[in-house]
Amino acid sequence: MTKFPNALRGLLLGFCWLLFLPGQAQSSDRHLKGTVKGPDGSALAGATVALASDKKTATATDAAGAFTLTLPPAYNGPLELDISSVGFETRRVSVERGQLVVSVVLDNSKASLNEVVVTALGINREKRSLGYAVTTVKGDEFTQARENNIANALTGKVAGVNAAGLSTGPGGSSRVTIRGNGTLGPDNQPLYVVNGMPIDNSVPGGPPTVNGITNNVDRGDGIAGINPDDIESISVLKGGTAAALYGSRASNGVILITTKKGRAQRGVGVEYNSTATLENVAVVPDFQYTYGQGLDGVESIDLSSAQASGRKSWGALIDGNTNYVAVDGKNHPYTAKKKNVQDFYQTGSTFTNSIAFSGGNEKTVYRFSAADLTSNGILPKTSYDRKTLNLSLTSKLTDRLSIDALAQYNLETGKNRTGAGDALGNPNWTPLEIANTADVRWLKPGYDSNGNERIWNDASIASNGYFVINKYQEKDTKNRFIGQASVSYELFKNLVIKGTASEDFYNYNYYNILPTGTLYEPNGQYSGIKTDLSEFNGLVTASYKGNLSKDIGISAVVGANTRKNSENRLTLSGLNFTIPYFYSFINLSSESTIPYSPRIGTNSIFGSVDFDFKSLFFLTLGGREDWFSTLSPKNNHIFYPSVGGSFILSDAVKLPEFFSYAKLRGSWAQVGGGAPDPYSINLTYSNVTSSGSTLQNVTPDVNGNNVITNPNLKPYTSTTYEGGLELQMLKSRLGIDFTYYNRQTTNDIVNTAISTTSGYSNVILNIGELRNSGVEVLLTGKPVRTPNFNWNVSYNVAYNSNKVVQLAPGLPLIQMAASVNAWATLDQVVGRPFGTILGTRMTRDAKTGQIVYSRTTHTPVATTATQVLGNSVAPYTMGLTNEFRYKRFSLNVLLDGKFGNKIFSIFELYATRMGKLKSTLPGRANGLELKGVDQSGAAYDTVITQANGVLRNYYDNNKTYSELFLHDGSFVKLRQVIFSYQLPIKNISTLKIQSANISFVARNLFILYRKTHNFDPEQSFTNSNNQGFESIGLPRTRTYGLNLAVKF
Amino acid sequence: MKNLNKGILIAGLAAFGLSSCDKGYKDLNTNPDAVSKPTPQYVFTLAEYNGAGAGGHYGSSSSDLLLGTMQYTTSYNDVAGFGSKYIQSQVQQTGSAFGAAYPDEINQLNIVIKAVKTDPSKVNWLAIARIWRAYCFMRLTDLYGDVPYTEAGLGYDSAVYKPAYDPQSTIYPSLLSELDAAAQSLDATKSSYGSADLIYGGSPAQWKKFAYSLMLRMGMRLTKVDIASAQTWVTKAIGGGVIMQDADIAMMHYISTGQDINKNPEILNLWNSDYIAQNGQTNTEGGKYADSWISYLQSTNDPRLPIISIVWIGGKPDTTSYKQKGMPQNIPNKLPANFITYSEPNPATVLGLGSPKLLFTAAESYFLLTEAALRGWYSGATAVSLYEQGVRAAMRHWSIIAGSAGTIQQPAIDAYVANNALVSGTLDQQLRQIYTQFWVSIFPNADEVYNNYRRTGYPALVPNNYPTNATGGQIFRRFEYPISEQNLNTTNYNAAVARQGADDLMTRIWWDKQ
Repeated sequence: MTKFPNALRGLLLGFCWLLFLPGQAQSSDRHLKGTVKGPDGSALAGATVALASDKKTATATDAAGAFTLTLPPAYNGPLELDISSVGFETRRVSVERGQLVVSVVLDNSKASLNEVVVTALGINREKRSLGYAVTTVKGDEFTQARENNIANALTGKVAGVNAAGLSTGPGGSSRVTIRGNGTLGPDNQPLYVVNGMPIDNSVPGGPPTVNGITNNVDRGDGIAGINPDDIESISVLKGGTAAALYGSRASNGVILITTKKGRAQRGVGVEYNSTATLENVAVVPDFQYTYGQGLDGVESIDLSSAQASGRKSWGALIDGNTNYVAVDGKNHPYTAKKKNVQDFYQTGSTFTNSIAFSGGNEKTVYRFSAADLTSNGILPKTSYDRKTLNLSLTSKLTDRLSIDALAQYNLETGKNRTGAGDALGNPNWTPLEIANTADVRWLKPGYDSNGNERIWNDASIASNGYFVINKYQEKDTKNRFIGQASVSYELFKNLVIKGTASEDFYNYNYYNILPTGTLYEPNGQYSGIKTDLSEFNGLVTASYKGNLSKDIGISAVVGANTRKNSENRLTLSGLNFTIPYFYSFINLSSESTIPYSPRIGTNSIFGSVDFDFKSLFFLTLGGREDWFSTLSPKNNHIFYPSVGGSFILSDAVKLPEFFSYAKLRGSWAQVGGGAPDPYSINLTYSNVTSSGSTLQNVTPDVNGNNVITNPNLKPYTSTTYEGGLELQMLKSRLGIDFTYYNRQTTNDIVNTAISTTSGYSNVILNIGELRNSGVEVLLTGKPVRTPNFNWNVSYNVAYNSNKVVQLAPGLPLIQMAASVNAWATLDQVVGRPFGTILGTRMTRDAKTGQIVYSRTTHTPVATTATQVLGNSVAPYTMGLTNEFRYKRFSLNVLLDGKFGNKIFSIFELYATRMGKLKSTLPGRANGLELKGVDQSGAAYDTVITQANGVLRNYYDNNKTYSELFLHDGSFVKLRQVIFSYQLPIKNISTLKIQSANISFVARNLFILYRKTHNFDPEQSFTNSNNQGFESIGLPRTRTYGLNLAVKF
Repeated sequence: MKNLNKGILIAGLAAFGLSSCDKGYKDLNTNPDAVSKPTPQYVFTLAEYNGAGAGGHYGSSSSDLLLGTMQYTTSYNDVAGFGSKYIQSQVQQTGSAFGAAYPDEINQLNIVIKAVKTDPSKVNWLAIARIWRAYCFMRLTDLYGDVPYTEAGLGYDSAVYKPAYDPQSTIYPSLLSELDAAAQSLDATKSSYGSADLIYGGSPAQWKKFAYSLMLRMGMRLTKVDIASAQTWVTKAIGGGVIMQDADIAMMHYISTGQDINKNPEILNLWNSDYIAQNGQTNTEGGKYADSWISYLQSTNDPRLPIISIVWIGGKPDTTSYKQKGMPQNIPNKLPANFITYSEPNPATVLGLGSPKLLFTAAESYFLLTEAALRGWYSGATAVSLYEQGVRAAMRHWSIIAGSAGTIQQPAIDAYVANNALVSGTLDQQLRQIYTQFWVSIFPNADEVYNNYRRTGYPALVPNNYPTNATGGQIFRRFEYPISEQNLNTTNYNAAVARQGADDLMTRIWWDKQ
């Protein structure tokens, strides 16, 4: 809500003037001429000059800052001009009658100093009054960037926000954490709020797991359903102090989305935005091309040996000989095939078209938008389609009564979303693991004349990728409705009562077919989810704004909120299609339907009061009490306070001229929270799906575990304090915003793993403790500002230190997830940051550091599996935006980086076993010398060769040393390039176009720095807490295309 | 200011309307899909399913793993072939049965026992649950040695999250006494589980026989470590009455259609992990019968060979004995070109998903009684005749399991018996014959073959000295605890390791004294 839209409107009016009024014969005394300059004396192009009494009489300055304003005929009103330009203070100047030349100097905008931002509950507040850091991102940054999921577009933009899109194809989820992971519970993502009311961000049926199989797809999160074209702005509230008014769910921060509303105007405003983008695989692994398909130094020379070695490159030297036979049964030259990854995936495409109509009068304004997104993934037959209809209506019924309503309907359809994790039904294994002399396209179409999967290797669990593409079926449909309605009434002057109800509801249908004829499961499998989910919030507030005295302003709000979240889920699963190749739930020999009906309620009352002392000192006091349905009735509510303040140093004291603005801020807040799961208090028993006999067991949790419920659960508490400094220097051409924060979560509700010998695998305890602290720095600069050329820079960097302080008495760690076959695990370890990757190493001799070999197995002795390998979460994040404007051209370049995390690669582990990585070359020619010590400390020295598979099995056994497949996940990426051209619409005036803009847009163009040689370090496939694994998901892509935005 | 006060008052009143703020939460917290009290017989049936199943999916099933170790089956694939190859990188597979047993059958039986123990009309419910729990604990301690026993399964009731491990030397006497006490408390006049008991339909008389048969099995287990106790308990068991008739065989009943849990778990494992394609070539995890198994049956002209084994010829299963061929156990992790020529389980007999799982058979009683007779602990019949009855009873197993498809003709049985009478000689020579025959007879119950192998050394299998094996080329002596115990139950785990020996495959458990 800055002046930007106004300025824009001014600009548009200026253009209108240019379009429709030129050429009229005017007498010279009706022409007011002048120049507009910036504070540094440079000419300002494109500044709007308008008659204050009649804004329709306006013009714009040319490149030299000159303007000519033609007054209406017989104009006798006051000669006052409003002169405005983006980035400058609007100025009103009076012109003497008869004065024909006006020279105006505009000051730099104080917009950033007096900026109004949207805060909790949708309350607009001056940024200077806030005791905490808040960052606002404008809507157009999302429309041009064109990430399907707007949360991905936050990547690199906001200090302390760790946002990452998943590599799961179109319609995939995002993972956003703000100031680190703050709870040991399952959800560390922020609360998404639209126009003040929360929306649902869940993934239907839950996010994919690290080691899942077949049905392990990312079904898309809630934020993916928001159309970027509908967004006016996004404010990021980074945690407790900013978000305390939202209560428990805000302890991870809040992302506030303000949608566009209509504006009073004559006629109908039309906005049209169209984008076409293409995407390609970004990283291709660096395989060895010395030895080709085969086993133990021998190439495959017939079908049977080709099938035995379909994904094994343990053969002979690649020499182009023609005895080679591949899994298609044909002879081929024995040559390297280096394009398998590129050949397996296609060029993906996304087309987005949106149109919006807006208008209204002084009483009622409306905006209606319709958008269609059609995306085809890089994996053939993968697609995602999203249709969004959005209607917003605001009406001032009387002077005191006004209503506001928003209705959004989404239809989202995904087809053949790709899984990650284990091999079965995961097509991504094929191009990565296929032998390096085989062309992946030889496996086409993946099935035989009966429609059954064709063998391409010795392990049927490793599906033929083309069979998966052509025969597996996945489809999901989400019908979503978001409705909000509010009524506000000004009871007395300055006292407004407001009631709001909002509902976010979706109905979701999903099925995933493992087809008849699959080698591993020849009779097929069915998995389905049918669910509807409702998130309801009712809110009543009373707010007052006034003055206690001449110097003290006050605004206060009290309110009450009720939240109810409920889901009715049926999980359908079945085995064996009785009639082959006929895929219906009724055609299964064994089927089960499991209901899951979680219901959560939270009721709250809250209040907050802001004091403003001479606009120099601001103080905010707040408090909230929550009642949680998921806690023990004896102890289900908690009160928590917050306090914050800011001090405008630059207005209180005379600072050197170097500083144009200085603000100090600080705040402290507590937020309480309930249990994440609904049925954590009482132990219950439920039926186990069975034929014939009735079976009953302890009701398992979502993960299928026996969990000891806790009848005494009490709220957890998250306490945050932060302090910050904002400086503007050199006439606001250089800005610094610095924040330090500390956030401590105590009494955290932890689903703790316990020894299964207790009869249960988990217990819910109330004693976890977690700490985050860190710094955030935002630097902004305007190095060049001339009439024709502007350069703006924004650099943000953040460091978050995270520590698991306590899990449960005497419990050193909890396992969160395990990779396929548990080759590495992700754990919470006391004293270490959230999400530590644990695994094995090769044992080394304590004295000499030599590898310890076992004389029994003739391999290095593996350590225990609890060696700390590294952090899964990057503590350092940064983003650098450079924006250049030259006349009608603009260029926006965003670099971002994350540092200090580790990633474990399942792909490399398998590629090692298959002999595809260069690291498997030593020893193939003349044997590999294993030198070290044995377990008694005596020297160990032996040479192993390819004979009888010994060398191959040695490398295969490398899977038992997790450390070999662990990499630094740090990177710097060229995240975004937008090159725009503002069309000179003068030439196409007949279309009544107000503005038109065409842009070249590109996302994820290059990785400028990385340590993962064979894959993109952002190869994540789940938006759960379980990060730090590369697990053979869809490759990440680079995207590029064109965007056209037209306003009528 | 006045207005402000009024506003606050009004908003405060509005908020107060909400401040009976947890109304309806009790309702909200009641899971509509669950009940708050268990129904004991339904939980018991599940405990039977879980206890008889050897703990889950492919790789975690101790029975399927031991099929490889006892050299019935093997796989060219190292992962699936762990049981027959004992390679280092897969030793974690042995921890699964431990991890699954407690949250499943042990906890379920504790729930049942808690629900019925104070009800005098349910003495049989209690006794049967105790006997079944003894069976389940016995299986655990036989695989792992020291295990949590007295403190196990008390997580919910007593908040014991880290149960201590009991030494096997105390678990065994306790289980034996438990069997005795439970058997004696059975009362034919009182109610029982009826059809919820998938083993005996609730029959107290048959559960009594099962209890004493388990006592016989356990008592005999002690021959190496405590011969006197072995004699005491074997004698007591025989006195109590063990399973001698086919009608009394303890077996779990399954159905071939419906949910997986209702199917024979061991067969389902074999089916899903290898033989579902039924073409001899695309066996999912590369499994086949092992060479030692098939060649032994051929060398003894065993009439069971064509019953249990087939080879795919021309797309059809062929049961001809001489065409059968077992797969070598040392194939280095690659699909052999002649994979299709190796024998695999006969789908008509061995692979029936609805076929019963024999938990304790008359044949086992006869073989154990043969040993008892040889040791002079039993004089009800001669060792020679007991042995012969054992062989004959075992021949009948396949008709019990598979009906007519598994029926062996009487002349063939007679001929085999005639050629395989109990030799006279040293006890060791006789034990060699008994427990080699036991290996042939009890298939596919690899668990019990493995137990007797460890106790007697027979069958005298030649261990597979496969590269990167974890045992120095020896058949392992126990399973390893799951790694999670190291983190979640550290102190007790360490105490057990300190007492029993390193947590590895070659450490011997208490009764497996060198």
